[in-house]
Amino acid sequence: MKRLLLASAIALLAVQARAALPFVENDYVKASALASKKNVPLFVEAWAPW
Amino acid sequence: MRAYVYTDKGLERYAGRFVWLSINTEDAANAPFLKRYPIPVLPTLLVLDAKRNDVLLRYVGGATVPQLQTMLADSERKHRSGAEAVADRLLREADALESKGDHAAAAKSYDSAIANAPKRWPRLGRASEGLLFALSVANEIEPCATRALALYPRVKGTVSAANVAASGLGCATGLDKSNAKRMEMIGALEKATREVLDDPKIKVAADDRSSLYITLIDAADATGEDEAAVALRLEWVAFLEASAAAAKTPEQRAVYDSHRIGAYLDLQTPEKAIPMLEQSERDFPDDYNPPARLALAYKAMKKYDEALAASDRAMAKSYGPRKLSVLTTRADIFAARGDAKAARDTIAQAIDYARSLPEGQRSERRIAALEKRLAEM
Repeated sequence: MKRLLLASAIALLAVQARAALPFVENDYVKASALASKKNVPLFVEAWAPW
Repeated sequence: MRAYVYTDKGLERYAGRFVWLSINTEDAANAPFLKRYPIPVLPTLLVLDAKRNDVLLRYVGGATVPQLQTMLADSERKHRSGAEAVADRLLREADALESKGDHAAAAKSYDSAIANAPKRWPRLGRASEGLLFALSVANEIEPCATRALALYPRVKGTVSAANVAASGLGCATGLDKSNAKRMEMIGALEKATREVLDDPKIKVAADDRSSLYITLIDAADATGEDEAAVALRLEWVAFLEASAAAAKTPEQRAVYDSHRIGAYLDLQTPEKAIPMLEQSERDFPDDYNPPARLALAYKAMKKYDEALAASDRAMAKSYGPRKLSVLTTRADIFAARGDAKAARDTIAQAIDYARSLPEGQRSERRIAALEKRLAEM
């Protein structure tokens, strides 16, 4: 199980190609305030470059 | 997902309907977020109601484009309307409990959601995956395997079948060998996992497909099926190499690096990893992963000078909790070449670094493991 979880995790690579969606990078306070103001849900992807 | 999913045009229509936040868990600036929303496994996807301070959805693992589209539509519906069916409310509560790190309570809530599910409930797959993840993290591995066996026929033929079968198999493999049901459960879940792998209609992401192979190999190793384990490893490597060859961009090709280095180390052919990692280091000069993986490959090849040179490059670029892995590999290299003092010093350096990480990134368990290692050196 641990290996499966690890494999799922390491499937991520730090890449920049995400043209379809306008991600706010590493700023929860800013993104949360923006979602409240626009009254839309806040999507969060937690990842790591490994 | 970054290389294959978020770039998909099928998601463009959602761009203005959500605020999109990327949280790099290695970045110290995100420690307050991680304290509030513990993230034990990556990737984890959350949808939050920022106004009401509520978790609308949580999903652990990578998602395909159709899965993500369904999750986004579900989240929007919940965000718009307070009214929801019992099963949906229980699922949302389970996601919220899981986000607080209360895995046992989350598992109960996922189970209740499934018990209250109407016929053809579209969220059965996600709830099943959430249940098995929560049970496995809570170390409830026998219930995890039992529930996987019961749920698999209900999600068979869907993308969720992959996680249900593999999570259950992982749990069954972890059972104590004295458990009378262990072998029977492993056999049934191996069959289910194989069924997912062989079903061309199930569109599992290639890296998740690789994880299915890993789970099957672990099960074969754990049950002494040596010939099957070798055959699976060879099939796994062939699959990975074909996937990497079919990648359309360097980013997509590099997705397979981590799986391929694992496979080559497993097959004791670390030299095969060198060309792809050198290519990735050229393609992504700021990324610490290629040199960190080169250090592992050269260590396995007993080329310690090259391993330390690669480790130096990885050290210069790494940050966050991941730096601990770079340091422990470095200590392993020193130990392998007989420099016990340098190995001890490096583990001591890792302990200092681990203690310096902010809350949310600091792991007391990791610190204890490093201290134990130092005491034994």
